[in-house]
Amino acid sequence: MTIDWWTLGLQTVNAAILIWLLARFLFRPVSEIIAKRQALAHADLDAAEAAKQAAEAEREAAVAARAEISARRAALLDAAQADAEREKARLKEQAQAEIAEDRRRAEAAQARAEADRRKELDEQAGYLAADIAERLLRRLPDAARTVGFIDGLVVAVSELPAAVRDRLGSDGPVPVRAARMLLPEERATLEARLAEALGRTLTLEIREDPELIAGLELDATNAIVRNHFRADLSRITAELTRHD
Amino acid sequence: MEGNLVEIVSVLSAAIAVSFGAIGPALGEGRAVAAAMDAIARQPEAAGTLSRTLFVGLAMIETMAIYTLVIALLVLFANPFV
Amino acid sequence: MQSPLEHVVLFHVGPVPISEPVVVTWLIMAGLGLFAFLSARKLAILPSRTQTVLELFVTVLDDQIRETMRRDPAPFRPLIGTLLLFVLFANWMSLIPGIEPPTAHIETDAALALWVFVATIAFGISGRGLRGYLDTFVEPSWVMMPLNLIEQITRTFSLIIRLFGNVMSGVFVVGIVLSLAGLFVPIPLMALELLTGAVQAYIFAILATVFIGAAAGESEEIPLTAKESE
Repeated sequence: MTIDWWTLGLQTVNAAILIWLLARFLFRPVSEIIAKRQALAHADLDAAEAAKQAAEAEREAAVAARAEISARRAALLDAAQADAEREKARLKEQAQAEIAEDRRRAEAAQARAEADRRKELDEQAGYLAADIAERLLRRLPDAARTVGFIDGLVVAVSELPAAVRDRLGSDGPVPVRAARMLLPEERATLEARLAEALGRTLTLEIREDPELIAGLELDATNAIVRNHFRADLSRITAELTRHD
Repeated sequence: MEGNLVEIVSVLSAAIAVSFGAIGPALGEGRAVAAAMDAIARQPEAAGTLSRTLFVGLAMIETMAIYTLVIALLVLFANPFV
Repeated sequence: MQSPLEHVVLFHVGPVPISEPVVVTWLIMAGLGLFAFLSARKLAILPSRTQTVLELFVTVLDDQIRETMRRDPAPFRPLIGTLLLFVLFANWMSLIPGIEPPTAHIETDAALALWVFVATIAFGISGRGLRGYLDTFVEPSWVMMPLNLIEQITRTFSLIIRLFGNVMSGVFVVGIVLSLAGLFVPIPLMALELLTGAVQAYIFAILATVFIGAAAGESEEIPLTAKESE
């Protein structure tokens, strides 16, 4: 076996040339492009990371804003609810007060109406009583309607104050109203009794007044002495219809 | 005859070189493959790495046989004594 | 039978005999150079299919170098990559009828191993300094210095013989079988030879890496940037 030195030398040169060729045209460009792509990818990744962080921050801000909005809304709702409660309470109080007022007024009105009705009833009852009394008295004998009252009239006259009694009949005849026209003897009796009571005679001017029902009324200028049923009835009626 | 004797010895020695040179690598390759099989059976997930390493190792072991083959060929075709 | 150790001189250029391996090497150089030139012209950020394959190749190569050497692969990439590619394509030239692989001849292997030897020394000196590199020869003690020196020669020699023997024996065996059986029988052997060729190319490149890495020593700062960015 012989080694061909020419071949060895040529192959050595060939190998060197091939190493240079591939280094120049294959390995360097390819590794450069790989490095470039890696750099680009890194840049892209960094940018994406930055964008992601920005988005994250925005999201957190949005979350905070939403929380704030909801808190504000809750506060507003609470305030509105409190207002509503207050308004409701106020309205309720007002309504209750109005209702109480109405009821009180209604009760007052009812009481007044009741009182009015009772007064009316009393009045009617008074009138009815007077009416009944009047009708009953009309059935008495005529004498009883006048004569029986003479005593009373005389007593009443005698009980008048002295000044009034003295001046009685000083200016003309004293008008006397009777339930019916007095008979002469009745008139005489009345005059005699009055003279007895006063110590002087009175000039009487008798007038008939059926309104009196029964009794007499001495109607002087300064004094009126009533002794008749009409006056009694009127008094009774006044008593009955008076409301204390 | 002298030249013939040298040639006969050369052929014989070439045959002996190749045959003995084959024994060692054969045993070695057998052990290597057995070990690799054992390892793959234990760790099937490492089969790729193991078989790759096995191939390289086999080639390295085989090189020993190749050396003897080169010697045999030198003796046969480039015998300096012929 | 023709000896596989002989080589055919095709023609002469002046006094220089041009043998067949040289011509085949020129063919491979032309093919690889043209392919590299054409594909490197169209490199872009968005890679084409060819560019993807190229980038994958370069990336895997870088990873291998980084794992083996624990250094930045950039200075070693052209030498290791060229060894790998050239040996691979040279081994596979046996597929073309009538052409023997250049690596089946010891001169080509010797030329490649010579460059590995030179690169070992050069990267050793540049990596450790001249004094540091010379200190590696007396590594355990002074006694080991002759062995270390001899190892430099023998491992280069074994690198030559390994590649040469594998490829040459493959060609030789296929030739023998072809002369015996003829048509289809050599096909499995040829397939096996393809596998052997690829594995031997890988072994050649990785051994060169190991030799250079051992000579250059581990770098202080392990470049993990490319690793991290993956």
